[in-house]
Amino acid sequence: MKINSMGCFAALALGLIFTSTASAQTPSVKVDSETISGLGARNIGSATMSGRVAAIDAVQEGQRLTVYIGAASGGVWKSVNGGSTFKPVFDKQPVQSIGAITIDPKNPKTIWVGTGESWMRNSVSIGDGVYKSTDGGENWTNMGLKESEHITKILVDPTSTNTVYVCAPGKLWSDSDERGLYKTTDGGNSWTKILKGPNASTGCGMISMDRQNPQTIYASMWDFRRKGWTFRSGGDSPQAFSGSGFFKSTNGGATWTELDEKSAKGLPAKPWGRIAVTVAPSKPNVVYAFIEAEQPQNGLYRSDDNGKTWTALDRSQNMLWRPFYFANLIVDPKDENKIYKPDGPLIASNDGGQSFSNISGGAHGDFHDVWIDPNNTDHLITGDDGGVWYSYDGGNRWWKAENLPISQFYHVSVDMDMPYHVYGGLQDNSSWVGDSQFPGGITNDRWENMYGGDGFWMFADPSDPDYLYAESQGGYIGRVNRKTHETRGIQPLPQYKEGKLRFNWNTPIHISPTQDGTIYLGGQFLFRSRDHGQTWDRISPDLTTNDPEKQKQEQSGGVGVDNSSAEMHTTIFSICESPKNPNLIWAGTDDGNLQITRDGGKTWKNVVGNIKGLPKNAWVTSIDAGHFDEGTAYATFDLHTFGDMRPYVYKTSDYGQTWMPLISPGGAAAVKPVRGYAHVVKEDLVNKDLLFVGTELGLWVSLDGGKQWAQYTGGNLPQVAVRDLAIHPRDRDLVIATHGRGIWIIDDITPLRLLTAETLRKEAAFIEARPTVQRLPAGGGWVNGDASFTGDNPTDEAVITYYQQKRHIFGDLKIEVLDQDGKLLSTVPSSKRRGLNRATWSMRLKAPRVPTAASAAFSASTGPRVLPGTYTVRMIKDKNVYTTQLQVVADPRSKHTPEDRKAQFDLAMTLYNLLGDMTFAVDRINGVRLELEARAAELPANDPLAKRLRAAAAHVDELRRKIVATKEGGAITGEERLRENLADLYGSVTGYEGRPAQTQFERSDAIARELGDVVKDFDAWLTKEMPGINSGLSAKKLPPITALTRAEWEKISSQRGSTPRDSPARERDQQ
Amino acid sequence: MRRVLVSIATLTLFAMPASAQTVDEIISHYIKTIGGMEKIQAVSTLRRRGKFTGGGGFEAVVLQENKRGRSVREEFSLQGMTGIDAYDGKTGWKIEPWNGKKDPESLGEEEMKSILEDSDFDGPLVNYKQKGNKVEFVGMDQFEGTDTFKLKVTIANGDVYFYYLDTDYYVPIKIDTKRLIRGAEREYETALGDYKEVAGWYLPHSIETNTKGSQDKSKVVYDKIEANAPIDDGRFRVPVVAK
Repeated sequence: MKINSMGCFAALALGLIFTSTASAQTPSVKVDSETISGLGARNIGSATMSGRVAAIDAVQEGQRLTVYIGAASGGVWKSVNGGSTFKPVFDKQPVQSIGAITIDPKNPKTIWVGTGESWMRNSVSIGDGVYKSTDGGENWTNMGLKESEHITKILVDPTSTNTVYVCAPGKLWSDSDERGLYKTTDGGNSWTKILKGPNASTGCGMISMDRQNPQTIYASMWDFRRKGWTFRSGGDSPQAFSGSGFFKSTNGGATWTELDEKSAKGLPAKPWGRIAVTVAPSKPNVVYAFIEAEQPQNGLYRSDDNGKTWTALDRSQNMLWRPFYFANLIVDPKDENKIYKPDGPLIASNDGGQSFSNISGGAHGDFHDVWIDPNNTDHLITGDDGGVWYSYDGGNRWWKAENLPISQFYHVSVDMDMPYHVYGGLQDNSSWVGDSQFPGGITNDRWENMYGGDGFWMFADPSDPDYLYAESQGGYIGRVNRKTHETRGIQPLPQYKEGKLRFNWNTPIHISPTQDGTIYLGGQFLFRSRDHGQTWDRISPDLTTNDPEKQKQEQSGGVGVDNSSAEMHTTIFSICESPKNPNLIWAGTDDGNLQITRDGGKTWKNVVGNIKGLPKNAWVTSIDAGHFDEGTAYATFDLHTFGDMRPYVYKTSDYGQTWMPLISPGGAAAVKPVRGYAHVVKEDLVNKDLLFVGTELGLWVSLDGGKQWAQYTGGNLPQVAVRDLAIHPRDRDLVIATHGRGIWIIDDITPLRLLTAETLRKEAAFIEARPTVQRLPAGGGWVNGDASFTGDNPTDEAVITYYQQKRHIFGDLKIEVLDQDGKLLSTVPSSKRRGLNRATWSMRLKAPRVPTAASAAFSASTGPRVLPGTYTVRMIKDKNVYTTQLQVVADPRSKHTPEDRKAQFDLAMTLYNLLGDMTFAVDRINGVRLELEARAAELPANDPLAKRLRAAAAHVDELRRKIVATKEGGAITGEERLRENLADLYGSVTGYEGRPAQTQFERSDAIARELGDVVKDFDAWLTKEMPGINSGLSAKKLPPITALTRAEWEKISSQRGSTPRDSPARERDQQ
Repeated sequence: MRRVLVSIATLTLFAMPASAQTVDEIISHYIKTIGGMEKIQAVSTLRRRGKFTGGGGFEAVVLQENKRGRSVREEFSLQGMTGIDAYDGKTGWKIEPWNGKKDPESLGEEEMKSILEDSDFDGPLVNYKQKGNKVEFVGMDQFEGTDTFKLKVTIANGDVYFYYLDTDYYVPIKIDTKRLIRGAEREYETALGDYKEVAGWYLPHSIETNTKGSQDKSKVVYDKIEANAPIDDGRFRVPVVAK
């Protein structure tokens, strides 16, 4: 049996599978994640702004420090070298929001992760329970509490590995049962709720354990609720009395004592909100609690008698600020009087909590966790909204982690520069412009901060490339000079007695797709400016429900007040002008209205009522007006602020009169695997059936107008929140804004545009891609060490895309590239995966033949890059042959004319051929030399002929030494001969694809002449000496020596396999 | 070969549920699929010739010679120069001639680990117990959308591989390698493909390797693998350099 039979058999097996599942109609082709993910994706970061870190744990393993970082929405990162390098270890898991990380004190390979951050800001993501790894984070198992959504803390009993406590505050946006303090004694196989709140909105706020007596546990319970328009931390809910409280158990949670004003002297009066608690590890009778209470009783409390009595201590601003976001206390492992409180700043006390100092130094701010090295308590690791920071002097100074690309983008846009730039704003990390590619890679310093505050929408000004628009929270839009950074605030302001304009935390800015210079901004009204924000027209009435009950932000906060504009509601949240008609504008609101105008804003119609099955008041998170039909639009709706985490995506084809669900709960749509509340939908710019949806849990693609959806995981894109998408209209890239893992780019989505059902049914097929640009050869960047992130560039090579229905395992899968004359240029390694594949061709000819010398000439180790043109690609898969054409074009940035490029290629080929001539000359000389030496060796040492042969060999070798460097030993000899000169010249000519310098042309001629001189000398010597030598050999019955001819050399050279010999002449003679 | 085809047919159509799979069953299927133990054992030397493709059009000719008894020689040739890594069962050595130094040197720690792995003539799964390797069935996994059995292989020196065997044919399509170097794990990923028959033994002819997480891949495609070609033991021994 030949291997091809295996292919036939595979087809047979596949046929059987189809038969069993197909209906009577044409079998539908399954499009799953791997069908499409072979296009890959690259993460361009950045780690310079990094992102919010919710939890940290670390452990000394031998002499080295292992660190785990829990990103608020970017997974778990592990370092085994104290932070020099990190790798993401949670990427295969279905959620990426991390609330807690705890290393088992007895076993450093057992790691517990609580998913779902518990620093309950408006943009907080969700988790799905507790995970455990027993192999240092390589593999994870979900151990339950899947409905908890958020987890604050996990404690492992230091005396009993299988006893674990999980503090779950529970759902933020809705009532739920799975919240409170849970305990397992069987390593997570079963859980018991050991502390429960009195109502469905109270969960566990924080826990701490007396590590010297792990039966003693302190826990806080927190009654909280966030809504789109308000937040309550503590206090009573409309339905029930507050469940916030403070508890202690001395029997591992079997029974609890409530600590309050009555039972524990010194504690403040209720109502309470969130409480942080921690036991001093070195002296566990000392317990600290920060209590969110009514002023002036809120603040830090300390007990020196195991919680019996308490003393009120610090209540400085930074102790009290925003308890829902900062409710963590960390005591030095050796000194019970040294305490750290993560808050806006990181504050620390050295006097047992009497006073605190701001020790934030140069770190970002908004701290959430601190790890203190128990062996060296000056060594701290902290995490804040800007990533991870290290201190080696007890928090006096901080060293930034530059290797955690966990940045939390809200939105992304692109410009038309070449290469294009990427624009976007981030949670608490301003608004940035980054390179989509850069020679040497997209290092952290290829990103430039352009604004301040939290960042959201950001755009280049299409009417003036020197400017861009950015904003901070609450609609503080600015127009920024990209070069000088001069910034002008251009937010529309209230009119006479109008009170406050309502701008969302994440206020929509929209750039007109049809009119350069026209921008839109959404408050409760839709604003339009055509003069860079100098004037704004209100082109709508209040488009929201204007519900006064949702406009009481000054009452937001619960026990305390927190009115940051994060709860600003009844606002416009999404805007989209039709690319087909500038008078057709869509606007969606955060309170459930979807409005359309078809007359440039004169009249508006709310069409949300036409969407059957959509619950009321959903946030209209995105609208994408159709690029092909004016009446078409797509919209995503988000109900997660009502506790509904499911995606809703709808389409209209008639200006909003009727809507079709593309993704919605229930019915046929229920089988669609899309998970997570929906943030964004985009219709492709070329193929109207190609749709993209970003949800809180990933990126999803449909090739058939929304009937089937598949999650995109190419390039190891994790199942992270995808907040926004941009399709580059020229480069055909999909740019993905993740909230937790930075920006990702799928280079060239043409294959997705062309992947038809017909193609999917084929065993294999080429898929067209964009023309291949020969990017200008260029170098950049510099060594940054191992501790710095660098984003990947797109490949410099030509991308060959193909589809196969099944992974190729047996037999050849070859890809060949041929030139215009059908000559084989290269065979390139193929990709074997199921679904879409990408192989690459360097666009270079084979490397020139280079004479063997003392050292390798790496400047001549690759061939010249071919000229732009059309090349043929041939794929041989078993017996089947597929062909396609590959368009190769010059870099549009190139200033070189085609004639310049041709001149460069021609000179490169002249040098390439000259290197070949030189190799022949050296091989020819060497061949004679080695034969002379070999014949001499067959004669007695004193034989006169032997002496003559050796002398001849030495003479010939002198000629060789004129061509190639021969000093060996590995030192920097600086020895340059014609070969070294020629290889360098070749390297410089192939490294620059414009017209070569005159001196290079002249140098080429000069080297050719000098080589010719040596060859002439050798030929003259052959003529003069060889007849006599061969007569002498003949007399001794030894074979004559003849120099290699070019034809012989070419033959041997082309046959040279994997073991080149010293002497092609000998190879010839042995054939 | 009919026997192999039949066995593959059986595996494909009547594959047992994953939970019923044991390490020995999976490895036994694997060995059957690739030709059977007899065929494997009948091979005493392998000589693989092919092409290395790096980034940017860099290519080189590669040769790997293996001889039972843990001898291996790997060559990398460019511009008439040949770099060599070799191991004769006792000593690992190399010649890196690129900058003019052409005498043999000792292999460094990581190179030594790598060549020791390469010296395992038929791979760590075949006769794994005799070799002192520990193999565990980790579970089902996917590699690039293809269902696989994931096996954890711990070799005698403590280094670990994860083998991903395609569930239709039971052949490895991916190997994750973890080597402990100076106390730190170095992780690599290797994709295998183009299995073709050599003396009755199906061997991968396409091998792609990268540092885990990196997009830079080293790709080797063998155009010829010879079995049982005579290979002199001297090819594996450290060359004696005249002083």
